[in-house]
Amino acid sequence: MEVPKGYQCKACGRVFHPKRRFCLGCGGDQFKELALEKEGTLLTFTKLHALTMDFTTRTLMLGIVEYPRGVRALGQLSTDKVEMGMKMRHRWEKVREINGQEIYGLKFYPASK
Amino acid sequence: MRDVAIIGCGMTKFGRREEDLLELLMEASLAAMKDAGLDHRSVDAVYVANMGAGILNYQTGVASALVDRLNLLPAPADTVENGPASGASAIKNAFLAIASGLYDSVLVVGGEKMRAVTGWEATDFVASMTHRQGEYIYGVTLPSLAGMFARLHMAKYGVKQEHLAMVAVKNHENGAKNPYAHIQQAVTMEGILLRPEAVVNNPPIAEPLRMYDCCPVSDGAAAVVLCAAEKAKDAPHPAVHIAGFGQATDIHAVYQRDDPLDLKAVRGAAKAAFEMARLCPQDIQVAELHDAFTILEIVESEQAGFFPVGQGHRALEEGATRLDGKLPINPSGGLKARGHPVGATGVAQVTELVWQLRGQAGERQVSQAVNGFCCNFGGFGNNVLAFVLSRE
Repeated sequence: MEVPKGYQCKACGRVFHPKRRFCLGCGGDQFKELALEKEGTLLTFTKLHALTMDFTTRTLMLGIVEYPRGVRALGQLSTDKVEMGMKMRHRWEKVREINGQEIYGLKFYPASK
Repeated sequence: MRDVAIIGCGMTKFGRREEDLLELLMEASLAAMKDAGLDHRSVDAVYVANMGAGILNYQTGVASALVDRLNLLPAPADTVENGPASGASAIKNAFLAIASGLYDSVLVVGGEKMRAVTGWEATDFVASMTHRQGEYIYGVTLPSLAGMFARLHMAKYGVKQEHLAMVAVKNHENGAKNPYAHIQQAVTMEGILLRPEAVVNNPPIAEPLRMYDCCPVSDGAAAVVLCAAEKAKDAPHPAVHIAGFGQATDIHAVYQRDDPLDLKAVRGAAKAAFEMARLCPQDIQVAELHDAFTILEIVESEQAGFFPVGQGHRALEEGATRLDGKLPINPSGGLKARGHPVGATGVAQVTELVWQLRGQAGERQVSQAVNGFCCNFGGFGNNVLAFVLSRE
């Protein structure tokens, strides 16, 4: 399984996901790859009832997770039994098909399970 | 820099329209040119605001096609695309061209024909402006970004579902007085929130946002004619001046912003517009804000400087933003009720302000309006433009 990565600016230490050419903090262009931490905190979320094409489910859970080093990532949530501040763990899974092509990305599961 | 005035404006009715995009753009353009007392010989250049005719209508080169239909050849013409802020961006281009002395009178028309595709496709089309790797691939739509934003804002500042509904009730009440609005129907707090059947009338879209928290998908066009102020004396209507303009951009993926609740580009655009106008928020009597989602009207009213951060919903509660309040916001009905043909919206906001400042807004006229403000919000706040307009 592919491991979702963060990209740490070698100049100022700020971590990004996904990869950027330039650091948003200091403008640096050298990054060190590191694995995203296993667990993060759910900052906010939505249950989406109006989906775009390519989705076969009626609703979709989306959320933003903040990792301890400060980097945030957006991804799908595995369940609607969530609340703000909950601990979540990611897996790298198929999140969508676009024109028949499988797209992989972050899916967050409650950390207790 | 020369002073720039708006001497004409016009728009089509927004909603589901049978006409194609070019016909809508022509209807609005001809209305604005007539209002300005201009014929086709006196238009020096044309800017057309359109976000996605290439995707929605399989029509590219919109400006080139339009000048031909309007018999404005060989006037220079460009299509301007800046997402849902395309309208304000096109006006900015015309403003700069006239201020620089290059042109004397310029037609700006914005339009979109969104109902040509299904609701799914329209939602996906708008979502295509989100961050591809960080947002779009997960199924992110603009309502989903607004839903996540609303949940954070509500938790931090004590904003309730009722406050969001108050924006909808107010803007629908205004929209019912606007013959150009997509939805000309008032709604009640009971009907969209309090009664049990509200769950059916007003279903969730992107929780906590419900249908009445989101703007409709619309067809329509709006146009304005800009002119060097020194040459605006002969126009049939009193000129409205572009006193100030501002624009700012922000980080593409909302989650990467230092504080995802901080709409820096709204603040930056508004600040620059007020500085250029040498006015402050207290000098404004009418505002058109980009309420694609009800939460955005509340937050923009704070970031533009009309109310302290975290207090926008209090002002709303007190009725300050109603037509008869201290600062009427979205007398047109806003995007919520007037509708949101994405390329048209920025031009429609300016059109409404011109009508308000001339005293031509009919039943929805704000009293004693001298200075107006509008904010056109592109992406989820990653490209925002603001104008301050003043009556002579």
